[in-house]
Amino acid sequence: MIIYVLANILPGLIDWLFISANWIGETQDDCTKEGACWVFVNAWSQQSIYGSYPTDELWRVNLCLALLTAIIVSSYLLDKSLRAKISVPLFLLFPFICILLLDGSYIGLEKISTDFWGGFSLNVLLAAASIIIAFPLGFIWALGRQSHMPFARSVSIVLIEFFRGVPVLALFFMGSVMLPLFFPEGTNVDKLLRVWIVLILFMSGYMAEVYRGGLQAIPHGQYEAADSLGLGYWQKTLLIIFPQVVKISMPNILATFVMLFKNTTFLLIIGIFEMLSTTQTALSNSYWLGGYAAEGYIFVAIVFWTCCFGMSMLAASIERQLDTVKR
Amino acid sequence: MNPARTTLQKHAFFNNPHYRAIIYQLLLLLGLGVFFYNIITNTLANMEARGIKSGFDFLFSTAGFDILMSLIPYDATHTYGKTFFVGLLNTILVGVIGIALSTLVGFLMGVAHFSQNWLVRKLAVVYVETFRNIPLLLQIFFWYFAVLSALPSARQSLSLGESIFLNVRGLYLPKLINEPGSLWVYAALGLAIIAIFILRRWATSRQQKTGEQWPVFRISLFILFGLPLLASLLAGIPFSWESPVLKGFNFRGGITVIPELIALALALTVYTGAFIAEAVRAGIQSVSHGQTEAARSLGMPENRIMSLIVVPQAMRVIVPLLNSEYQSLVKNSTLATAIGYPDLFTVFVGTSLNQTGQAIEIIFMTMAVYFTFNMFISFCMNLLNRKVAIVTR
Repeated sequence: MIIYVLANILPGLIDWLFISANWIGETQDDCTKEGACWVFVNAWSQQSIYGSYPTDELWRVNLCLALLTAIIVSSYLLDKSLRAKISVPLFLLFPFICILLLDGSYIGLEKISTDFWGGFSLNVLLAAASIIIAFPLGFIWALGRQSHMPFARSVSIVLIEFFRGVPVLALFFMGSVMLPLFFPEGTNVDKLLRVWIVLILFMSGYMAEVYRGGLQAIPHGQYEAADSLGLGYWQKTLLIIFPQVVKISMPNILATFVMLFKNTTFLLIIGIFEMLSTTQTALSNSYWLGGYAAEGYIFVAIVFWTCCFGMSMLAASIERQLDTVKR
Repeated sequence: MNPARTTLQKHAFFNNPHYRAIIYQLLLLLGLGVFFYNIITNTLANMEARGIKSGFDFLFSTAGFDILMSLIPYDATHTYGKTFFVGLLNTILVGVIGIALSTLVGFLMGVAHFSQNWLVRKLAVVYVETFRNIPLLLQIFFWYFAVLSALPSARQSLSLGESIFLNVRGLYLPKLINEPGSLWVYAALGLAIIAIFILRRWATSRQQKTGEQWPVFRISLFILFGLPLLASLLAGIPFSWESPVLKGFNFRGGITVIPELIALALALTVYTGAFIAEAVRAGIQSVSHGQTEAARSLGMPENRIMSLIVVPQAMRVIVPLLNSEYQSLVKNSTLATAIGYPDLFTVFVGTSLNQTGQAIEIIFMTMAVYFTFNMFISFCMNLLNRKVAIVTR
């Protein structure tokens, strides 16, 4: 029965996707054949990757993306002893370097307002910049939750449960409607910055729970060994516990990151031009009124699918590596 | 005197972990105090400057906007408080549909992963890996803008029989109308359910005593349908169907399921179903293979091994995972606002907030509602968890 259904659907689908699809051209008029109109995706590709960032300044966005790749690759290649000294500060500096570069006004380049930032590059950079800050912040919350100080513990629990228990969309609305009320009168905090803060806090809540799992898996002997070496609390935590927690929680951290990455599409609702909203805008463009929704969505889906599937493969391979270490 | 105590006293008091903890916490308290003091004074000043009156009085003033779909009678003359309940019910509706369907799909696909059939197995893998890795909002848009809006118009509706119609405006179903005497049928249904419970108890205790099995499931099914059927025949079939009828440009009568609800429920089901399938797969994998082999050597048929041996043990792993999937389903249902399905978020945080400007009250109320939903789901799943946990004697 399944074969029958597949045999009925697949040929038509392949025909629509590839064989009678329109690949070449620039405008709607070039889409003459029956199948999918990939011309639409092609025509809007710059929009969907970079948003309305000025074409002459695109090198800045590319530089940011290249920098991110370089930092990630270098942290793999570098020796373990150098990793803590070079990669960690680079990672922590990365969001701020990006802001300086993309905004431009602080380093003598032409200022480009955040209204023009957008597209898939925004999804990637925002997700990366959020998890980089949430990485240490979430660990602090997780430590707070395990702490023996009753007040610190309750504050951490409230923070973690609040940011995990509330829909992220409500948090975004809080960021866009309520946060402006919290700042002194007259201060105008950029919308994207508010979103970034919300994403960091939301992510920290999830990371804290991931870390909690990791912290519980560390054998007590590790703490005792560190104590008997005479290490202080922070030395013990940062040199002995943290590296091990990160190692064993890596698959879960990646899974959390995949979730965050997918959730960056929710920003469409509060009017930030990430990839999905640029696609929505393109679909309502008056030169392209032909119902190309399927093509547009399939393109976005393929891009996100590739990234998320890649990361979950990576997580699975790390999990397998950890498994062999254990045995 | 105790020598340890003398050494302790030699240290300065701030090196004593006990005092240190107190100092840290005092600092934290002070920091939080300053933070909240600033926020509150700023907020009050801002609200005064914008002329927003704080408080919940707005809940009793007239809302003045229509809502696309409501389970309780509602029109524009009702209050904001009423819009809250309309939204709440719509959220519960989509949540219940989503949880029920995604559990069904998830369990089917999770079990299909272990099927003997190569095609079924691969299909389950492709389903999980495809839909898990595509953002939910994109899936909602795909169903809503690409699939449902490509449906034919009301005049060329797809129809099933003469009573179910599907077109671009939604799904039209026939409605059941109760006529006098239908109460007897419902009473029979209730009676049937009670009878099945008693029967199951009896059958289990009999099986434990004598080892003989009794076809409980088939007989329960028979009672469940037979008893109400008998009652309705005796009462002279006290029901009638109200079919949707095409009048002018649209259908009248029957039940209308708006396309927004279909798209949202479909996307939530498919997306969460993929995650639940993963959870079910993990649960089944956690059951030791020896259990299956032991059951096979006892001569059990394959489908009974799955349902009687493997799945009950897998539930210990599955239930906690289900808990978080259900919670995220309810949280994700807020995406309704992207396509305009009138759930709590769309109605209350969307329209009501825009009209009243009571940002703080409305957002806190909404957050509290979703928090309560999550606690309720957690509570139910913990009850279930206690039931499936290993009984230690």
